[in-house]
Amino acid sequence: MKSIIKFAIVLMVTGLLASCEGYLDVNTDPNNPTSVTPDLVLPVGQYYTAQYHSQDRGLSHLGNMMMVNWSQSDGFSWYTDEFKYNVTSNFYTGVFNNTYANTLKQYQILFKLEDPKFSNYKAIAMIMKAFHFQQLVDCYGDVPYTEALGRSLEATPVYDDAQAIYEDLMVQLTAAIDLIKAAPAMALVPGADDAMFGGNMTDWIRFANTLKVRILTRQSSMSGRGTYITAELAKIATEGHGYITADVGVNPGYIALNTGKQNPMWNSLGWDESGTKTMNYNATCATAYVLNYLSSTNDPRIDRLYEKPGTGHLGVPQGLLDYDTPVADQYMPDKVSNIGPGILKAANMDATIFTLAEAYFNLAELRDKGLLTTGATAQSLYESGITASFTFLGLTAAQATTYYSQSRDLVNWGNSPNKLKAIITQKWIATNGVTAEQSWFDYSRTGYPSGIPLPLNYNATADRPVRLFYPSNEYSSNGENVPAQPNAFTEKIFWGK
Amino acid sequence: MKKLFLFFVLFVLAGASTLWAQTKVITGTVTSAVEGEGAIPGVSVFVKGTTIATSSDVNGRYSLTVPEDATTLVFSFIGMKQQEVNIAGRSVVNCVMESDVVGLSEVVVTALGIKREKREITYQTQKVDNAELAAAQPTRAGSALAGKVAGLQINVQDNSVNPTTQIILRGLRSISSDNQALVVIDGVIASLGAFDDLNPNDIADLSILKGATAAALYGSNAANGAIVVTTKKGQAGEKITVGINASYTAEQVAYMPRFQSKYGTGWEGAYDAVENTNWGPRFDGTLRQIGPTWPDGTYQAVPYAPVKDNLLAFFNTGNNFNNTVYLSGSHESSKFYVSVGDQRATGIVPDDSYQRNTVRVNASKKVGKVELSLNSSFFKDETDVVGGTIGSQDRPLYWFLLNTSANIPLERYSDWRNDLYATPDGYYNAYYQNPYWAVGTNRNNSKSNRLNGNVQASWDPLSWLNVTARIGTNTYWTSGKNWRAAQTYDPDLQPSAGAVSSFVEDSESQSSEVIEDLLVTGSFEFGNFSLKAILGGSNYNYIYRYSQIRADNLSIPDFYDISNGTGTPTVTADASQEVNFGFFGDFTLGYGDFLYFNFSGRNDWTSTLAKGNNNYFYPGFGVSFVLTDAIDALKNNDILSYAKLTASNSTVYNDLSPYRINESYSKHGSFPFGAVNGFVLSGTSVDANIKKEKLNTTEFGANLGLFRSRIMIDFSYFMTTTSDLITFTTPSRASGSTSFLTNIGSLKGNGYELSLSGSIIRGKNLSWDASLNYSSETTVVKEIYEGLDEVAVTSSGSYGIYAIVDMPYPQLKANTYVRDPQGRVVVDPATGWPLQNAALESMGRTTPKHIIGLNTSLKAFGFALSTTIDYRTGHVFYSQGQDTMEFTGRSMESVSANRQDFVVPNSVIETSPGVYVENTNIPVQNGRQSYWTDTYNDVKENYVIDATAFKIRELALTYTLPSTLMKNTPLQKVSVGLIARNLYTLLPAENAFSDPEFNNSNSNAIGVGGYFQMPPTRSFGVNLNIEF
Repeated sequence: MKSIIKFAIVLMVTGLLASCEGYLDVNTDPNNPTSVTPDLVLPVGQYYTAQYHSQDRGLSHLGNMMMVNWSQSDGFSWYTDEFKYNVTSNFYTGVFNNTYANTLKQYQILFKLEDPKFSNYKAIAMIMKAFHFQQLVDCYGDVPYTEALGRSLEATPVYDDAQAIYEDLMVQLTAAIDLIKAAPAMALVPGADDAMFGGNMTDWIRFANTLKVRILTRQSSMSGRGTYITAELAKIATEGHGYITADVGVNPGYIALNTGKQNPMWNSLGWDESGTKTMNYNATCATAYVLNYLSSTNDPRIDRLYEKPGTGHLGVPQGLLDYDTPVADQYMPDKVSNIGPGILKAANMDATIFTLAEAYFNLAELRDKGLLTTGATAQSLYESGITASFTFLGLTAAQATTYYSQSRDLVNWGNSPNKLKAIITQKWIATNGVTAEQSWFDYSRTGYPSGIPLPLNYNATADRPVRLFYPSNEYSSNGENVPAQPNAFTEKIFWGK
Repeated sequence: MKKLFLFFVLFVLAGASTLWAQTKVITGTVTSAVEGEGAIPGVSVFVKGTTIATSSDVNGRYSLTVPEDATTLVFSFIGMKQQEVNIAGRSVVNCVMESDVVGLSEVVVTALGIKREKREITYQTQKVDNAELAAAQPTRAGSALAGKVAGLQINVQDNSVNPTTQIILRGLRSISSDNQALVVIDGVIASLGAFDDLNPNDIADLSILKGATAAALYGSNAANGAIVVTTKKGQAGEKITVGINASYTAEQVAYMPRFQSKYGTGWEGAYDAVENTNWGPRFDGTLRQIGPTWPDGTYQAVPYAPVKDNLLAFFNTGNNFNNTVYLSGSHESSKFYVSVGDQRATGIVPDDSYQRNTVRVNASKKVGKVELSLNSSFFKDETDVVGGTIGSQDRPLYWFLLNTSANIPLERYSDWRNDLYATPDGYYNAYYQNPYWAVGTNRNNSKSNRLNGNVQASWDPLSWLNVTARIGTNTYWTSGKNWRAAQTYDPDLQPSAGAVSSFVEDSESQSSEVIEDLLVTGSFEFGNFSLKAILGGSNYNYIYRYSQIRADNLSIPDFYDISNGTGTPTVTADASQEVNFGFFGDFTLGYGDFLYFNFSGRNDWTSTLAKGNNNYFYPGFGVSFVLTDAIDALKNNDILSYAKLTASNSTVYNDLSPYRINESYSKHGSFPFGAVNGFVLSGTSVDANIKKEKLNTTEFGANLGLFRSRIMIDFSYFMTTTSDLITFTTPSRASGSTSFLTNIGSLKGNGYELSLSGSIIRGKNLSWDASLNYSSETTVVKEIYEGLDEVAVTSSGSYGIYAIVDMPYPQLKANTYVRDPQGRVVVDPATGWPLQNAALESMGRTTPKHIIGLNTSLKAFGFALSTTIDYRTGHVFYSQGQDTMEFTGRSMESVSANRQDFVVPNSVIETSPGVYVENTNIPVQNGRQSYWTDTYNDVKENYVIDATAFKIRELALTYTLPSTLMKNTPLQKVSVGLIARNLYTLLPAENAFSDPEFNNSNSNAIGVGGYFQMPPTRSFGVNLNIEF
């Protein structure tokens, strides 16, 4: 018996003493790596860029609600907050939270790469950061920028002035273009892991220039910015690569009927991975206003933007409470115009984050305002924008020509006395369903398109909101830095003042 | 099973044979040693090693027939020292009983299985024995502890067939670390799971080490106190006992939410035959269509009138059969206890079932100076319950019930496969499907096994020296299969229904803890001084593996195998390991049996922290002073039988989980796309200097025994400071992370506990014992870090559980009404709708400020009535159920203004900044419905409810047959009982939904519950215990 005890003691003491360094060396995570290469980081960043822009309740969805593109079918209580303009610290918080904590987190990893071998990745990260930070400023005004994305080193970043951020974005975009141009021969060029341009760095330069134009256009309604804008446009001209030549989309290889692998808009607003029509699809439909607008302007895009039921196009006013008067079940999902085939094209379609049409309309606006003085005329740019929109939706350039050749205000350039109004109104149609948030920003800035209705029943506000509230979690986690919330209906972002 | 039965029959016969021996009669009188007290009635007198017993009558006299060969009589009485008297050759045996200081000679099992006399313990513990624990035949030991221990909060999370219990001692003391008590079974660290898996009938007693000072020897596991379980061993000197303990309980819904019964199916005041909501016109009793119109023009019609208890009718009466067969005994130097348990239950939810088996083998044998022992249990169970992700919105079952309107005769739709109106296409509700269909098409199945046990060798090489070595394991493995059937709908009949996709999910997990302890104990005495010294080491190794594979959109209906999926299956595989070891010493220096000083220290090395920063010292000290033995004037005093004071302090550290020190990447769930893979940086950022969190606890205690220990008072006061909290803080999302793991700030907690127990009546045939446990505890957040004054434990955005500086933790926050300085609700002058504050506001703590438990046991003529009552108050919870009922229009509030526009009572309008005028004439717009669904329902303050609850948790009436009846039978004990659990609950009026104890999560996010749990239940049953 004693020998058993001895054995046990010896076993234990050995066990304990064997605990030299090696014994405790079991803290390496077998499931998760602690470092990965840039080609594994970039596609996830782009995936997020597409997802939070295009999916259900993404930024474009918000724009579609604000700009009266979309409404709600009978049987759903889906969009009450949107109809109420219930802009609180719990409204569309994903725009802030997901952008920083998911999308920009990934790009920041690439941005921090110092090895010249990765300069292309770094430049892409700078361009995408500019893309997202502009959106953040457009939605919130002042946001964390200089101290943002510091992770454990800066859990409570300060807020930076919106206009200062805007100006730095221009600097960053220029630096990104320079970085691409100066990339050493040994620098890695992304391939299939670049879900936007497949590693075509010239396309990235063009996209950077196009983003610059978006940033400048947004400021073109401000007084006293003319000189700055002109100077910046001159830099773009000097750079020489020009602008995007096609719609910009993300497509890491979306594939039908696979969980998490379908186009995010298709998946959440169209048909899910089992091929089943989603509830969101049924719940979401055209407004009566937009259908009426499109049909009254003989716009063939109506059948591409909206599904046409057998009983003909039917829209629902936003904010309707009583769906069954005068006819019961008149607005059931199968009777209303849901999101159309020009928007929901296929499960593997690109997630478009910047339309070619918008690029033309931005240039048209600057050209019309005389800030841009070279290149195509404002009319030509305007008509190219309409054509790009038609093409995007699956219509032909000839149909576009027929459309804009009608002698009609806000359609035909010559028949439109207010050119800005025509450009912005056409941009509203061109961004419908795809990048509708741009139209919302334009509305805050210019008041166009004019005449779009407010939702019924719900709200007492004079007009639609002009910004989002900082999320409630920002007040609890960064209370010392987050500014007092400006009024969501009256205090416009700096470029709209 | 048959063989086992035969085995027991043989034992019974063997046992019975002893009764055929010759007998003789012994008589005598029992008196008190205290002058003037004279005879003592009710003293139990029995033959040692048997159950042959009687008790003294009013005059202290007794008479007992004993076997010829009986040698010793035992006299026993509460508050008196037990006496053993040799009866060889005597027929008259008188006994003089001396008062006993029971409270202090009691042996308490403390940390690491070390047994100590209560007098030398420098901290407070409380003991619960099997009789108290198992009176109402609980299926889980944890739930049966509620109300029985001061400072212990038991939260039964739900009433499913396999419920989860949360066990918290002295409140919460950490924001992100686990706050649940450590469970130790037979000296070895186990887990709450292992505790739940024990057969309560196998438990001999539980010793509750309430604070870190008591548990300090467990090092990093000690922070939350411990529940030290000792299982039945088979007592020395006992002959073999075979017993059967059988119980049956019926479980039924105790109460349903309070629903309005004035309005039914519809929307915005209009009748709608397919609505889940109750916003239709007022009930009028007319026959109306419900559900779709069939192609032939037919449809179902029911009276437009409320159907009483239409949801209650959905629930079944659950059945619970719980049987244990046990065998216990000893032979010379060996002891054993063997039991086999079998529990079979069906739940209140149709088709829910649960079955478990437990086997326990405890055995020990003394060989010379060495005692070898084995304590082991094997457990297996099988759970089959309704799935949790039902329908196209992945909702829990209760959601579907709550979305059934008031005029629907739900019970009628049980035959969903054949009854046209119950089929998915024909069911009335266009949005939320038939709950009976949900039960049939969504299942979660799991099977699990656990081996928990240890082998121990205890060696006494010298009279003053003991060496004990132990190896224990707690190994658990489980496999599960969850599935959901696909459902598509006829677009003409169900145009609004969302098609349901099918899936099957297979999972497996294994966890294994191996613990090795070595203790060397030496006891020394020098004159008036004594020293008990313990030196030891402990080694802990934990391994966990988990894998899950899920396939969606199955090709063959009703065939649930991964191969049947389309698309790429989702696969998760995870593993982790943690190792730590420590050395410890514990020294108790005693002086004259009344003063004890304890010093303890432990040093741990852990694998989960960075090298060079991974070892910690845990110091503790305490003092115990027995006044009644120290001061001559107090000795042998019949009023103050004993009095002991204690003080102790200890420091322990809470560990970090494995792999937390490095930020890591994980593959994004949607990747790879073809050859392109993608990794995402963890949402959690980690402080580069992360270390353990520190807890310092100070405790003062007093134990008093009055009137020969008929009344016992235990009091303790404790203070806990937690600093360097390891916390998942919520950083600004703009930092690029959703969570930041760092050491922050501090929490300060304090509280007191009072236990009062006594024998109110103590007579021969009548006795009444009662105990009252009261505790109060508050933990306040002292600081977080600069620039941050709160941390969200969980948050929906509009309500959540938080840790907030200078507020009791955990704290419920919700969005609130804007109020004027007088507290009146400010409304929008245009719409009459109340305004809401942009930020969430604190609404109160979610752990009770006061917990009162009352236990009584009344015994008379073989009957025993025991009751456990508890009352908790001073806290709030978030009622997700009431929140949901608002939208569905079934809440009482939604009819409070008869669905008209109305002026919000006690409301004001702000006419100019800071000027408020009473609102007398601006009614809310859309009072018909959308005010309620879209405005009132948005203000989550409306669903913060007082969590006070008064419960009669247990009631048991047991009758034990007198031994005289069993004289010539092999039976030794027969008792039958009527038992009831959760018999009655009293809630404040504002709680219209459910039990505030129910909680969505087993974590620190205490205080959010509702429709993820089924309605509360109560159980009634019978119990039979027979021993041979």
